[in-house]
Amino acid sequence: MYFRDTLQSAFKGVSANALRSLLTMLGIIIGVGSVVLMSAVGASMQRVILGQISSLGAKSMVIFPGQQQGGPNSVSTGHDSLTFDDVDRLKLLSTITTVAPVVFIQGRTSEGSQDESPRVFGVPPEFFENQKIVSQEGRLLDAQDQQGATFNAVIAPDARDKLFGSVDPLGKRIKIANNHYTVVGVTRALGSQFFQNVDDRIYVPLSVARTVTGQKYANYITMQSTSLASDVAIDDVTFLLRRLHGINNPANDPKKDNFVVRSSAQANQILGGVSLGLTLFITTVAAISLLVGGIGIMNIMLVSVTERTREIGLRKAVGAKRRDILLQFLLESLLLTFLGGCIGLLFGIGLAFIAAAIVTKLLSTYHFVVSVPSTISALLMAGVTGLVFGISPARRAAALSPIEALRYE
Amino acid sequence: MSEFSSTKGVSPDSSIPHTTYDIRHTHSLIRTIALSKSYFNDGLETPVLFDINLTIEKGEFVSIMGPSGSGKSTLMHILGFLDSHTTGEFLFQGEPTGNLDEDALAKIRATRVSFVFQAFNLLPRTTVFDNVLLPLLYHPSIRTSQREERTRKAIETVGLTDRSTYLSSQLSGGQKQRVAIARALVTDPDIIFADEPTGNLDSHSGIAVMEALQALHRSGHTIILVTHELSTARHAQRIIQLKDGRIESDSREFDRVIAGTDDERLP
Repeated sequence: MYFRDTLQSAFKGVSANALRSLLTMLGIIIGVGSVVLMSAVGASMQRVILGQISSLGAKSMVIFPGQQQGGPNSVSTGHDSLTFDDVDRLKLLSTITTVAPVVFIQGRTSEGSQDESPRVFGVPPEFFENQKIVSQEGRLLDAQDQQGATFNAVIAPDARDKLFGSVDPLGKRIKIANNHYTVVGVTRALGSQFFQNVDDRIYVPLSVARTVTGQKYANYITMQSTSLASDVAIDDVTFLLRRLHGINNPANDPKKDNFVVRSSAQANQILGGVSLGLTLFITTVAAISLLVGGIGIMNIMLVSVTERTREIGLRKAVGAKRRDILLQFLLESLLLTFLGGCIGLLFGIGLAFIAAAIVTKLLSTYHFVVSVPSTISALLMAGVTGLVFGISPARRAAALSPIEALRYE
Repeated sequence: MSEFSSTKGVSPDSSIPHTTYDIRHTHSLIRTIALSKSYFNDGLETPVLFDINLTIEKGEFVSIMGPSGSGKSTLMHILGFLDSHTTGEFLFQGEPTGNLDEDALAKIRATRVSFVFQAFNLLPRTTVFDNVLLPLLYHPSIRTSQREERTRKAIETVGLTDRSTYLSSQLSGGQKQRVAIARALVTDPDIIFADEPTGNLDSHSGIAVMEALQALHRSGHTIILVTHELSTARHAQRIIQLKDGRIESDSREFDRVIAGTDDERLP
């Protein structure tokens, strides 16, 4: 028997009972669909985070005050461990450059009747370099602002929209916690960094912030390593800060430190770990749902073999060989899983597209990516499922004696 | 499942007198020598056929008749390569069949023999055309390009050309059996076996089916009809009566019925 004829017979077998075939495929559809959906979302998120990390630059580093708590990826803030003496000593390290401490100003911000609460950052000029922030209108804060402690402010686009709407903000005055500042510039929109909107900030000179808050410590410190080997820079910073803070921690126990050093390279590594976890999770879900789907297919194929015993007997009586029957029923299982896989693929891509559209609306940065390796492996796994779970019913069909099959009631 | 026991194919020289079986060279279409068949179930032997010696020539129309349990269906299955015998010999066109493997038997079923069953055994949800075409899918030498033409001719022979595109479920019993006859014809086999072909039909349809079989016989086909009814068996030229697994009589001397003529016309 020609393969084409066998395929046609298998196709007729599947289409003869369309509703049942569809229900049988459901497990495979859901399995493949969920894998495609989740891997697409995972790949898209990864793309977004990678984009944010690379937007900061591979040399970017941050020091947070306080202890590391919970998992290795969580940081508790609110401690006052990072002093400006630390900052001055850090500037002397050869492995880092552009050290920029940040001091937050708490309090209400208003312009005329507009009353908003954007976050106010007291920063030195180096901060803009570290965070790749550039001006859209006017200028950024410079060394003169810092040295002269001028009450100037640079605002990010979302803060401008909230405070000024469509009015040109340059030269206008805003009030932040009882002090008036003159707007000298607007930064270019950056979207979000690590899922924090950086476009609703207001920047004032660090010297001003220190004066008005009286704060003796930095809320966090940004800087850059001088080379791509940020591990060396992290070690230098850690060593220096432990010495300055009188911490004896030869075992590198993060719970003993009162600061946390992070670099873009580290974030990349963490991301790698997260995406590995995600891949394992997706694979597990796929394996379980395809197993369930495969059992469903085997079940239906066994029912089908029983139901069609007389047909098998007839086919054998008119000359079908054992392998003709085997191949026909195996192809039916494969066809069920393949069609199920294709439908699942379309569903998965469709849902991922919808998810991307929703997230884009919410976060304003999102890429729609379909993970090709995950998609192909999901389809392959579906095919293997068809083969593995189809072989037993097909062998049973092929082994039927023609006479007994013909007599079957 | 069919098991090919090693005990079959016993040489006639060892168990049967020479004088009776010395004409093997004549190559009858079917020839059995001391053929027997037993079923084995949990080591228990149930004999069904004993010492069947039978010769059927090309072009014959033979009825195998007997009550249920006489072994007539088993004999048909063996002669039709659906089942194997236990001892004795079955020569098909002079060739012994005892050592054929499953694939070889399938090939013979595809090319040399065909069946018409009591229950029609048409594929459901399948058109008349595709039902008739089915055996050609398994035929090793009929080319794809010849399939349609052969199928059309076979359907024309049984007079169902205008029903070609009907689904098998849309036909009457008699029409279904004529489709089954067309399916049996389509590979141009050496023998057509008909197992109680009128058993599920009313008298009118039964007559039409017997007419079709007799027409096939007139055009040169060899037909072996299995039935338990004398009125049906009498459509053949020769009646072999089985009883309790043995041949009780083998006769050509009877009033043959020609289907559709006065002697069979219904009131």
